[in-house]
Amino acid sequence: MKNQGLLRNGFGMVMRNKRYLFWFWLLNLTLAEFATAAFRRSAHAILDHSLYADRLVHGFDAGVLFDLLAKLDVGQMNSMTMPAGYFAFLFFLFTAIFLPGVFAGYASTYRLPREDFFRACGRNLWRFIRIVIIAGIVMGIFAGALFAANGAIVKKATESTNEVLPFGLRITGLATIFLIITTLRIWFDLAEADTVLNDAHAVRKSIASGFRHTFRSVGRLLSSYVLSTLVAAIFLLGGLWIWMKFVAPESIIGAFMIAQITLFLLLIPRFWQRGIAVSYSQQRMLIPVVAMQPAEAIPVAVPPAPVAPAPEPVPAVSGSPSPLEEPH
Amino acid sequence: MTIRWKLIAVLALVVVGVAALVNRKTVTAAPQATTPVKTKASISTSRAGLSIPDTTLAINSPTPMSQRVVHYDIDAKYDTTKHTIDATEVLTYHNLTGQALDHFPFHLYQNAFQPNATWVRETKMQGSRDTGYEKWDPKQYGSEQIKSFEVVGQGDVTNNIQYVAPDDGNKDDKTVVDVKLRKPIPPNAFVQFKVAFHDQMPETQARSGWKRDFLLGGQWFPKVGVWWHGAWNCHQYHNTTEFFADFGVYDVKLTVPQNEVIGASGVEVSSANNSDGTKTVTYHGDDIHDFAWTVSPRFKVKETTYQSQMGPIKLRFLMQPAHWGQVDRHEKITRETLDRFEKWYGPYPYKTLTVVDPEPDSAAGGMEYPTFITGDTSWFMPDGLHGVELVVEHEFGHQYWYGMVATNEFEDAWMDEGINSYTEVKVLDSILGKSTSMMNLLGATFGEREGQRDEYITVADKDPMAQNAYAYYNYNSYGGITYGKTASVLLTLEGIIGEETMATAMHTYFMKYRFTHPTKEDFLKTIEEVSGKDLRWYFSQAVYGSQVLDYQILSADSYPTNWFEEKKDQKKGKNKDKDNVYQSHVTVGRKGDFVMPIDIEVKFDNGEKVLEHWDGQSRWTRFSYVKKAKVVSAEIDPHHTVRIDRDNFNNSFVVEPNRKPTYKLSTYWLFFTQWVSQAIAWWAI
Repeated sequence: MKNQGLLRNGFGMVMRNKRYLFWFWLLNLTLAEFATAAFRRSAHAILDHSLYADRLVHGFDAGVLFDLLAKLDVGQMNSMTMPAGYFAFLFFLFTAIFLPGVFAGYASTYRLPREDFFRACGRNLWRFIRIVIIAGIVMGIFAGALFAANGAIVKKATESTNEVLPFGLRITGLATIFLIITTLRIWFDLAEADTVLNDAHAVRKSIASGFRHTFRSVGRLLSSYVLSTLVAAIFLLGGLWIWMKFVAPESIIGAFMIAQITLFLLLIPRFWQRGIAVSYSQQRMLIPVVAMQPAEAIPVAVPPAPVAPAPEPVPAVSGSPSPLEEPH
Repeated sequence: MTIRWKLIAVLALVVVGVAALVNRKTVTAAPQATTPVKTKASISTSRAGLSIPDTTLAINSPTPMSQRVVHYDIDAKYDTTKHTIDATEVLTYHNLTGQALDHFPFHLYQNAFQPNATWVRETKMQGSRDTGYEKWDPKQYGSEQIKSFEVVGQGDVTNNIQYVAPDDGNKDDKTVVDVKLRKPIPPNAFVQFKVAFHDQMPETQARSGWKRDFLLGGQWFPKVGVWWHGAWNCHQYHNTTEFFADFGVYDVKLTVPQNEVIGASGVEVSSANNSDGTKTVTYHGDDIHDFAWTVSPRFKVKETTYQSQMGPIKLRFLMQPAHWGQVDRHEKITRETLDRFEKWYGPYPYKTLTVVDPEPDSAAGGMEYPTFITGDTSWFMPDGLHGVELVVEHEFGHQYWYGMVATNEFEDAWMDEGINSYTEVKVLDSILGKSTSMMNLLGATFGEREGQRDEYITVADKDPMAQNAYAYYNYNSYGGITYGKTASVLLTLEGIIGEETMATAMHTYFMKYRFTHPTKEDFLKTIEEVSGKDLRWYFSQAVYGSQVLDYQILSADSYPTNWFEEKKDQKKGKNKDKDNVYQSHVTVGRKGDFVMPIDIEVKFDNGEKVLEHWDGQSRWTRFSYVKKAKVVSAEIDPHHTVRIDRDNFNNSFVVEPNRKPTYKLSTYWLFFTQWVSQAIAWWAI
């Protein structure tokens, strides 16, 4: 399968299931609303009746912001960052819970009913938790080692008289780390897709399968993931640029709208990557199961669902070879 | 032709011979010299022939500008591999104390960089701007070792010197040494010391030392203390203190490898290559109280001239190659700062100013020495970030507040750093704009006066300004009080005595006390004299005290005087706002313990403004009005002249809440929180 096919199929899945983007964006916004409530409450008490606060509205006087943060009533920065951290974790948790449903929805050739969505979520919850833990350990080890190595190289480079060299090495190192961690992400994305699509009980098999396929098609998959990440960067930078360029400093609604549109768009590339994983999984990772059928002598219980055409409308995963097939 | 050349050769020999003879005592001819150079040996000469030169080679003045107490003649050789300096120092001291002196204390600053030295101990306890000494690195070691010490006419006294620790009694601190003389030096007599010393320079700390192939030679030679107010003033080196020294003349020979580019205090007199691959560059400084220098083989140099009120100044910029694109920024801010200082405070009399862009990632940035300053930048410095301008302006300002008005930095740090921070606000305001002098980038702005205030308010109740620089609660308090509070206190003073009066007072103070060592009272009394006001109530709290100023509007409200008739009138539809008479109250409170008269502006919904005045003595006061208008807002200090109020938010009260600022900030914070959540989820699942 060509790279463009992967990208197109993955993007098609995202576009056919735009409701998932909306729900995740709403979840993200709702949790962030809770996360920022304490700050908002403190800020209302201090700013609402103060003329001094007006300097924040027309332009952005960083001195006023510093004054606000220095006030004892507002407290330390961690009183703001801690709730944000907790709710960020909650968003991650909810993502882990609902993601199997998203994979099932992407794999489905029709609009997945709500009960099937949640069934896929429930059925794969524990599997996903295991994958997330293993992924966390693997990526943590890699990231820790890579960042440590990068730090050591940069530190060594600071002995050089070339001032730009440490920065250059840091950026190069970060780019390398990005590529390696993205490769690991592909591995576990494929494992997640495999778990859902094959209804695999044994997570280790999905992880092993994901590992094999990642490195078998690393060029195609990595380039697809990098491209979608670049799209995310463009969304972010473009959104910020429009925000600064076209939104008047005193326009709260304008700022809110452009911020939320940017955040909504930022969800697309990651869901696109998941679509790519599902598409690849459908194309490549289901084939070995079919190919294994002749070897019936091996007493391996092969789940029937992915290989046999599923009777309507039950399956969460279609056995259809064409992910581009229009929904029924 | 032959005879002509012989004549010229003879004449040249005579000239060189005369110059060599003169140079034995005084430095004379130099290419930069544009004013008459005195060749007479001294103003007053001792019977032993000792004197302090009255040269004017390095200043745009025909006569000396300071009372010269010392003459340092140093011959130093720097080993770029070992980062060591071996030198001989001949110090001639003029006893102007009015009494016989039988001992002399000397600073050995480089000994501060040793594990048990007071400087390192304090840094470990309080923190510093460069290093916390979590782990001792041998590269951080510095030392200043006296190899021999001779008092001319009294013989070698090397065995008579002992380390003393006048501030904390730390026996391991070797930053001050006391030299006992065999015979006292009578009043008005001269004494000469010949010292051989060896420095091990540390990797840059406290704006001194080496980094890679760069060296900043600051506080590198044994320096005699100052006889001040009837006693020797020679403090140990602390992590929050700077320096204090007498004015005089410096003649310094620096021997370094030939590939090195040198910059130093004073004017360059000569440069000669030696046969061993080194070169010796000679510098001369007049009316200065310290001498610093720098070398790096990679400096790129720009030289230009500034025409000052007293004559031309040679501006020399020593830039890092990666920062060469910023040399014009350095030059521009230097010129504009010089312009403001000369117009507002007084002339810059020196013939040179060297601006050094130090090695990146070194602790050498942002330092002042006479006619020699270091900036601080990096290869990425957008125009909207005014880091270059801020540092260069600040360090240049020290040419006035430290360089010429040479206050005691050990005891009155606010008088150099603080007054300099105040003038920094004034100068940068005028050059870069009040609200954008620190930053004007991507729609966000930050003004220097806000920066100074912000530095202060976080440590507002920790320390007074008037205390020894090494007695602060911690490093942050030292910084917040000496820099931020002083600047804010003086800006507030402008509001009390008037901006023009304050400007006159600053000019008067500079002209009266340049080339002297004024005390805090000299400064405060100058302001009182110029303003004609008794300001003790202010100084006692702001300078000598740690009181915190925080006034607030406790409430502002209005109600109709016929409130009891309201329901009935409403039913009849007669109750129109414009016909109503309102009872309004504005209550103002004093939250802090700093007492100061304040103005309050009360605005009504008919556009009327009422300016109230309150002496602030009691804890609160209330202003009441009966008008055909409701109060809209009340604001303390409506002209925003009080810069030391700890909380600006409670200085005003708007009756109808304006929720826009909160919504705006919340939108930003919301966006950031959502984005972080998404980023975590991106990688983790």
